[in-house]
Amino acid sequence: MGARGLDGTRAPLLELETREEALLQLQPGRITELIGDPGTGLTRLGLSLLSPHSRLAPVVVLDVRGWISPEAAWEAGVETPNLIVVRCEERHLWPKVAAALLEGVRALYAEVPPGVRDHDLRRLGALARARRAAVAMRPLERRLPTGVAHLRLRGIGVTWEGADRGHGRLTRRRLMIEATGRGVAGVVRRFEVDDEGTDTVRLVSDVVVDQAGRSAG
Amino acid sequence: MWSLTRPDAPPDSPVLVVDDRVTGASHEVLDVGVRLGMPRREAEALAPFATVLIRDVGDEARRFEVVAQIIEDLVPRVEVVAPGLVYVPVDGALKYYGGEEALVEQLGQTLLCRELRPTGTKIDTERNGWEALIGIADGPFAARWAAAAAQPGQPKVVTDTISFLSGLDLSTLRESLGGEEIIDTFRWLGVVTLGDVARLPRDALATRFGTQGVQAHRLATGEDHIVNPREIPPDLAVESSYEDPLQHLDAVAFAGRVLADRLLKGLRMAGVAPHRVTITAEPVVGPARERVWRSADPFTERSLNDRVWWQLRAWVEDGGVRGGITRLRIEPDDLSGAGRQLGLLQDESSRVETERALVRAQALLGPERVLQGQPQGGRMPQERVAWSRWSETETAGQRDPEAPWPGATPGPSPALVPQRLQPLEVEWEDGLPVRMRLGTRWEPVLTWSGPWRLSGRWWVGEKDADRYQLVTSVGAFLCVVADGKAFLAGVYD
Repeated sequence: MGARGLDGTRAPLLELETREEALLQLQPGRITELIGDPGTGLTRLGLSLLSPHSRLAPVVVLDVRGWISPEAAWEAGVETPNLIVVRCEERHLWPKVAAALLEGVRALYAEVPPGVRDHDLRRLGALARARRAAVAMRPLERRLPTGVAHLRLRGIGVTWEGADRGHGRLTRRRLMIEATGRGVAGVVRRFEVDDEGTDTVRLVSDVVVDQAGRSAG
Repeated sequence: MWSLTRPDAPPDSPVLVVDDRVTGASHEVLDVGVRLGMPRREAEALAPFATVLIRDVGDEARRFEVVAQIIEDLVPRVEVVAPGLVYVPVDGALKYYGGEEALVEQLGQTLLCRELRPTGTKIDTERNGWEALIGIADGPFAARWAAAAAQPGQPKVVTDTISFLSGLDLSTLRESLGGEEIIDTFRWLGVVTLGDVARLPRDALATRFGTQGVQAHRLATGEDHIVNPREIPPDLAVESSYEDPLQHLDAVAFAGRVLADRLLKGLRMAGVAPHRVTITAEPVVGPARERVWRSADPFTERSLNDRVWWQLRAWVEDGGVRGGITRLRIEPDDLSGAGRQLGLLQDESSRVETERALVRAQALLGPERVLQGQPQGGRMPQERVAWSRWSETETAGQRDPEAPWPGATPGPSPALVPQRLQPLEVEWEDGLPVRMRLGTRWEPVLTWSGPWRLSGRWWVGEKDADRYQLVTSVGAFLCVVADGKAFLAGVYD
């Protein structure tokens, strides 16, 4: 799964057409933070961010709850043989495991358990930059400390199509995302992502553009 | 290329030595068009008169040890890749011998005129030595193909490695890439030489062909000599001493295998993998013997065991460890990407580095927490993934995922799937879902689909259940209702 312009068979990796498309791409050495309640579609979005990288090398999902489904990742375009799931429920081990993975993996989607200390997260941020690892982090409780994430994607709404009071089935999801942080240069951007359940996440529109002054970090 | 007489070859009959491809042939066989590396069947068709012998790599390694030793007498740190092929770092030796021309001439003459040692190895007695094909270039890959372009007695010294590489045919990549498919695709695209490959953008090759594409580009641009060594902890070497010297081959083989396994186990815990190893054997009488083996890919248990066995067998059978072996040592000599193309892009992590990272994660969490999934058939999301430990043989799905699976949960897969169904509070009115509890709050159900009946295996006590997709303002959920109770089966997160 990937945004328009990221189809690995047609376009060179990391060659973007627009600034908006870059928001749906994990950049080497940068952390993208995904914030939102369960159900807002951010797990699937995070998995889809791994997709272009999985065409080139193994990618890793650091699963805190043991709930992440590889099937959703495969649907999102992640190459089956290149997806590795590491389950770590112990909060005290999580920073060590994350650091070990950042030492070597090209792209990582990591759930962040509650209670991880801020300075551990900052060190992981520095490690990701040093190792040029592309990282998406999904804090399960509070947000990452200031300065860790290069880009924050917050799920602010989700609508589903296909289900109708007992008829049909879920087919298409529209996810409204708000992007903040250094990755958008202090401008709050809101856009919709259209997810048809297969490898076709599309950027629909840049629905609102706000000037938010200085970035929150 | 080197010449070798097989003791089991019939006298006065041409010989073809094969595994799945031709690895050796008599002059008569080569004269009819058979070439080294040619598929076996093709060679047999061209030379039906030849006696076909199956390659014995261990025996070849034993015989080649004499050659390796002669080269090592002239230039230290010989790296054996396979019987018949060695890499020799010559930077230091150039000053001693006064230049590349002088060095290769000395090397060729020494190999050609060397007196036969009392090893029992049969050699070409007319010349009393070996005709070596010698090439010098920047990096192992270029040197290997420079040697292939050389003639006996006429070494190939490459001064402009990039130009030399650019004229090579694509087939030269076969050994390093380990696959025909990418070469066939290149040819189909009109890319026929390494120069053509070098002119392509690397990121485009990475996108289209992945690791293999980047590897091909790095070889074609002469980058395989770039070394990025990692620190090697000194205590990773393994050794064993033996009160009773090892004299018999079976005892040597067993000791070698145990030591090799120990080495790789230790390296795995450290999250590294060796590309070169130095094998040292101390005999009862005489100096210690030492040999470096090199591999383009990190050594695995099997490949390292093979090399250790070949080397020890060579030393034992040619009398190089007189009185038996009293101490064995294997030292990982290069844990870097030297000589192979690990990086997809130079500054990005590689597959091997990923494997090292995962090994470290396994050491922290245990192997059962680092997992890979394979698709398999099933009606519920929980059933549709066959899990296996990473690095172990992948578990093929026990149920065919392509089968129809009537009654399978429709729609996109939930991204979050609890391993066991979780209790869920749902309020119903007239059999229709109205509200569901999410954490501490109740969310109205905006719409839903289902129910889809899930018929349980009654013969093992499973009950029938109904599945619903419930949509709220904060997302959608897969819900199973059985016996009047609702359970969470997945979150469409």
